[in-house]
Amino acid sequence: MLQNLKSKALSVMVGALLIGTAQAATADELSDRINAGEPIRLGFATAIPWAYPGDNGEPLGFVNAIALVVLEEMGITNYETSVNEWAGLIPGLQANRYDIITGGMYILKSRCENMNFSDPIGLFGDAMLVPAGNPKGIHNYQDVISTGAKLVTGAGFNTVEAAKKEGVPEDQMMLVAGEVEILAAMNAGRADVAVQTFFGAKEHVDKSNGKFEVTNPADMPEWTKNWVGIGMRHSDTDFLAAFNEAMAKVVGGEAWMANTAEYGYTEFQLPGEDASTEFACANR
Amino acid sequence: MEWRWEFAIEILPRMLWATGNTLLAAGAGYAIAMVVGLILMFGQQTPYRVVNIVVRELVEFVRSTPLLVQLFFVFFVAPQFGVTLSAWTSAMLTIGLHFGTYLSEVYRGALEGVPKTQWEACRALNFSTVYTYRRVILPQAFPIALPGMGNYLVGIFKDTPLLATIGVAELMHTANALGAETYRYLEPYTMVGAIFLIISLPTALGLRRLEAAVARHQGKLNH
Amino acid sequence: MNYWEFLIQYLPKMASGAVMTVSVMICALLLAVTISIIFGLMRITNSKPIQGVAFVYIEFFRGTSLLVQLYWIYYVLPLMGLTLSPFMSGVIALGLNFGAYGAEVVRGGIQAVPKAQWEAALALNFSSKQRIRRIIIPQTFTIILPPAANLTVELLKATALVALITVVDLMFVAKQLNATTWLSAQVFGTALLVYYAMARFALIPFLRWLEVLAARKVGKS
Repeated sequence: MLQNLKSKALSVMVGALLIGTAQAATADELSDRINAGEPIRLGFATAIPWAYPGDNGEPLGFVNAIALVVLEEMGITNYETSVNEWAGLIPGLQANRYDIITGGMYILKSRCENMNFSDPIGLFGDAMLVPAGNPKGIHNYQDVISTGAKLVTGAGFNTVEAAKKEGVPEDQMMLVAGEVEILAAMNAGRADVAVQTFFGAKEHVDKSNGKFEVTNPADMPEWTKNWVGIGMRHSDTDFLAAFNEAMAKVVGGEAWMANTAEYGYTEFQLPGEDASTEFACANR
Repeated sequence: MEWRWEFAIEILPRMLWATGNTLLAAGAGYAIAMVVGLILMFGQQTPYRVVNIVVRELVEFVRSTPLLVQLFFVFFVAPQFGVTLSAWTSAMLTIGLHFGTYLSEVYRGALEGVPKTQWEACRALNFSTVYTYRRVILPQAFPIALPGMGNYLVGIFKDTPLLATIGVAELMHTANALGAETYRYLEPYTMVGAIFLIISLPTALGLRRLEAAVARHQGKLNH
Repeated sequence: MNYWEFLIQYLPKMASGAVMTVSVMICALLLAVTISIIFGLMRITNSKPIQGVAFVYIEFFRGTSLLVQLYWIYYVLPLMGLTLSPFMSGVIALGLNFGAYGAEVVRGGIQAVPKAQWEAALALNFSSKQRIRRIIIPQTFTIILPPAANLTVELLKATALVALITVVDLMFVAKQLNATTWLSAQVFGTALLVYYAMARFALIPFLRWLEVLAARKVGKS
């Protein structure tokens, strides 16, 4: 707690120093570009209600909404969007195709090795999507293993790592590109159960008109509950600090809650006082 | 980013297993395509003009539209009409139909390439239809069709990565999954390219040899 | 909603995707034609090294899958320092790939011009340049047009793959619409119809017209 407070104070100081010296040549590449007036580029995949493109490519979804609230606090209103496949989000970031990942990425150790995360924007859990009535009685990964069911999830999802850690055998797993393909696979009966974020599963239940139901997220292993952060390149440390500083000011505030309400984000998802990116990077 | 050999060797077994899947997919798809091609070709030569026209339009439609869109169509739409097939089966059927239309054109061109006089001579000699096809026409049509058929065999093999988009666990799909798990894309994607080269180059060379051998054999027969 | 309502609401969006498809195709076509001519000629020069270079290029790009090439240019090249936009990545991958196939067509075309033509031109005292320009090229052109037309239709279909590297073409728009509306039959069905219309009612007639034009120039029609 104290550790977290200290790091928050430090980042506030660093952020203030940097914003004060914004024109200095030592700012990182992203900050340089923003200060030169170029738009910031948001990268996300189609994952309703987390992040998805609108009819004209505008960024919808609560992660995008939160990112935009924070960016506005930083004075940045000029942005572009880039819609990718989920598995391509991190390599795309590293290939400099966009600047921040607003797809709604869980903070995982393996990901922290390849990119930085902002302070957490919320606490979320996973759940399973099963046919209405849950005929096979599947509530978590162990049930999947014992019933021999076919489990579908998206390539690059946190659930792939989680399933492997729980011991789900390779031949029971089916990997598709993303949320849309998951529902299609379930619809076609190509898989018995899907595992995804609770929000994603709820969205699928709504879209399926009663064909599917979502299991209780409390049945999933405790350690799969995790925080989500905005992703950035390792090299954009100054921007990260400024972003965190701005987020600290607006987290849980009026604009934050108002813009995310339509997607189902409530105060239960707020990151909370003890939320820490360092903790997640080390323990997830 | 430098190449890491230990990583490449570590993922090699999984890539090779996926290569087997790829070859299986290509082989099964091609087998289906060969049969579908025959059906579509004869479907344009029935005594019923309506059938001929419908089949002709179907062939043109499938030939002129991208395989990727067709795959998505079958993957997403078929279940909505109650047709639930595994990803494999729907992939095989789609790719089989798509290349079947190409092959039907190859067959058609090959049959037309056999001189009309051959048909007339068989008529004059009172050969049955089956005998005509079996001993006279098909042996002459085959070498004409062979280059086209060979091209599409290599082509179907190189189109298998498209199946990754609907979840078929072939080579490209495995490379994507590996990249997503380990965040290293250099080795998986480069190895996929190398494996494709290693398989398609000798195949293409072998096919050219086969064409030459068949042509020579034909030359001997025509005397 | 019925199909008409669907079309009224979503066809404009799909049309803008189709415009991107056509842009990608035209740019890739220009690149492919250039490469075809250069490498086709390289394949028939007398210099063994130049032939070898062309041979390696052609076999490499014909022997690997277009999708693999696309992904490599989009994901791996940036790691080596070269980051091209998705549009350029798509155009270059398509151009390089189809250029290789086109080079073989060009080579076959030049070699198919009867030897007699070369000899006659020599006998009639045409200069080398005149011979190429007035005798060989027009005939080559008529010979390569049918297979080149096939390749062009293939190129149009292959542009669908650039959707997988985030280029907002017709395929990409279709996938997005499917994700938000789940009207898969209408969305992908319409996409198929648009591709079909572009190929059958725009591209192929244009290529046929080119064939007629070429034939007339050579005095065959």
